[in-house]
Amino acid sequence: MKRLVCAQVLAIIRLEMRKTFFARRGLWVYLLAFAPELLFMGHVAFAPHQRRQLERIAREHPVSSEAMQAVQPGMTLDQVREKLGKPYHGWRGHDPDDRDEQSGWTHLKYTDGKTDLHLVFQNGNLVQIHRNEMDTPPQISRIFAGVFQSYYLRLAIFFGCVGIFVNLFRGEMLDKSLHFYLLTPVRREVLLAGKYAAGLLATVVIFTTSTALQWLTLFWWQSGRATLAGPEWGQFGSYLAVTALACVGYGSVFLAVGLLFRNPIIPTAIVLVWEGVNPFLPAVLKKISMIYYLQSLCPVAAAPDPDMPPLIHLLISPVQPATEVTAVLSIVILTAVVLVIAARLSRKMEINYSTD
Amino acid sequence: MSDDRILLDNVSRFYGEVLGVNRVTLSIPPGITSLVGPNGSGKTTLMNLMTGLVRPSRGRISVLGVDPSKPQKLFHFVGYSTQFDAFPKGLTGFQFIYSFLRLSGYSSAECKRLTTQAIEQVGLGEAADRKVAAYSKGMRQRIRLAQAIAHDPRVLVLDEPLNGLDPLVRSETIALFRRYAAEGRHVVVSSHVLHEVDMISDQVVLMSGGYVVAEGQIRGVRSEIQEERPMQFLIRCRQPGLLASKAFEHDHVVEAKILPEGEGVLVTTRDADRFCRALNHLALAGMDIEGVVPADDNVRSVYEYLIGSEEASK
Repeated sequence: MKRLVCAQVLAIIRLEMRKTFFARRGLWVYLLAFAPELLFMGHVAFAPHQRRQLERIAREHPVSSEAMQAVQPGMTLDQVREKLGKPYHGWRGHDPDDRDEQSGWTHLKYTDGKTDLHLVFQNGNLVQIHRNEMDTPPQISRIFAGVFQSYYLRLAIFFGCVGIFVNLFRGEMLDKSLHFYLLTPVRREVLLAGKYAAGLLATVVIFTTSTALQWLTLFWWQSGRATLAGPEWGQFGSYLAVTALACVGYGSVFLAVGLLFRNPIIPTAIVLVWEGVNPFLPAVLKKISMIYYLQSLCPVAAAPDPDMPPLIHLLISPVQPATEVTAVLSIVILTAVVLVIAARLSRKMEINYSTD
Repeated sequence: MSDDRILLDNVSRFYGEVLGVNRVTLSIPPGITSLVGPNGSGKTTLMNLMTGLVRPSRGRISVLGVDPSKPQKLFHFVGYSTQFDAFPKGLTGFQFIYSFLRLSGYSSAECKRLTTQAIEQVGLGEAADRKVAAYSKGMRQRIRLAQAIAHDPRVLVLDEPLNGLDPLVRSETIALFRRYAAEGRHVVVSSHVLHEVDMISDQVVLMSGGYVVAEGQIRGVRSEIQEERPMQFLIRCRQPGLLASKAFEHDHVVEAKILPEGEGVLVTTRDADRFCRALNHLALAGMDIEGVVPADDNVRSVYEYLIGSEEASK
């Protein structure tokens, strides 16, 4: 019996492969998945030019790294100038007619060739320090974490799963070809399991490949092979696991949506809004979502930059992250519950194309 | 539950407030059973109910003792060719049959053998490796039929299986149905083409507005309504006038019409059996009777009487 079920699941996966991987109407899933890779490749291509430019500026306006490190908020404009000398670039904010440096906003920029230091003064006092460190692993980790949590998890994987999993049932109802499955000696539950496995295979392959490529692009091409020996490998594994878990969780939800709803747009929008407002929800409600657990599993907090707008900061930082075990178990349990409910309801599934 | 019949016990199916079928009770024996009725009469709903594609709102169904809500059992011995003219994208005819056969649990080699056999049976051998999307309507009809018969089912349910087929393939397909029926299997077909239904059916189920209007062997159905619709016989003979006058001696004969150009006499009677006996006596008494043919003992006539002449002429 188990052998028959396995054979049936494999047969369903084979039938679905063409649709999940190679459907013309599914090309946008690849675009969503690999858009960050294009972004990072552009970044990698531009970075050497930016680095050379900073090195040239550092030669023309030399500043020591130690002096740059010594700058603290609250210092006056004169103290900073005394310590660091003449900036390579400076400008006044807001009011161009105001010639008094001790009032309004003043911006100064320094570089030692590795770090681009941007200082912001208000009424002659240093109020903001932006350090743009070029190519350091922590900096790259933060960039990756930001893109991964704000775009990749919330949009790319989310909508990718919508595109693939919803179509597994709903697409065939619209194509009027679902009945061929229902005319075979396959339990509805097995059909559901097979389709879920097919969708999972496709999304995991597409999105983990993209995650891996993004990571390797940033760390390998930009930082060089030496970085790969560092602790970043652990993060790399974590991101792949989070990507796969996101596919597991969102996949089950959207498979059920495609099975149960004639118009999947409304439930999808509801899930999107629910996941989107998650950071603003009370702690108990926050835990009834995928994104909370997925973000808890991410190895790097995504918004260390204090100057990031508060809303974005809130969106990508879980307030009280769940432990790894809790997060993984919660996603697995949520997935299992959704699939069991969908399997039970699939027994009542009927072919009535005229109303679909 | 009978293990050799398709049983429907007081089955109703509603789509919201729209009636699909209502209070259908049938016991379908092996052989070719035709579902006949106008569009919207409930034929397809009845087939979908038998195969579990839709569930009854009321009543019980059993196909050779198996509840259609258990596809894992049902489709080991049931094949259903639907009217839906859509296929999974990108598959060739061979891949289409083969892929769905794999779901039955056959080995790859067995699936290939069964697929080849089914495709040959419907005469699509040369087109097997072409994409189904490039098939003509008739070829798509045949590949659906091939899919339904590929696992050699004991029950074959076919929704308008002869639509779009050319005359040669049509006769081959009918021969296939007959072979299945001769082997003691169930072949349930729906059709609009009444003369074909007449030709192939062992029994018919006449449907209208979601109700079963009549069921059984066509002659049985015809004789049941002979009180309201007297039967007609066309008698060829050399003395039509004499035959007509002799026929009027019997009280069950309501009309005797002499046809022009020696075609014979069309006799209408309320009691077919007594009339046939009377004809025998006339023949024995020396009347030269060349032939007797029931003139309205067919599906078209029964359909016309029970459902309406307008639909029958479609």
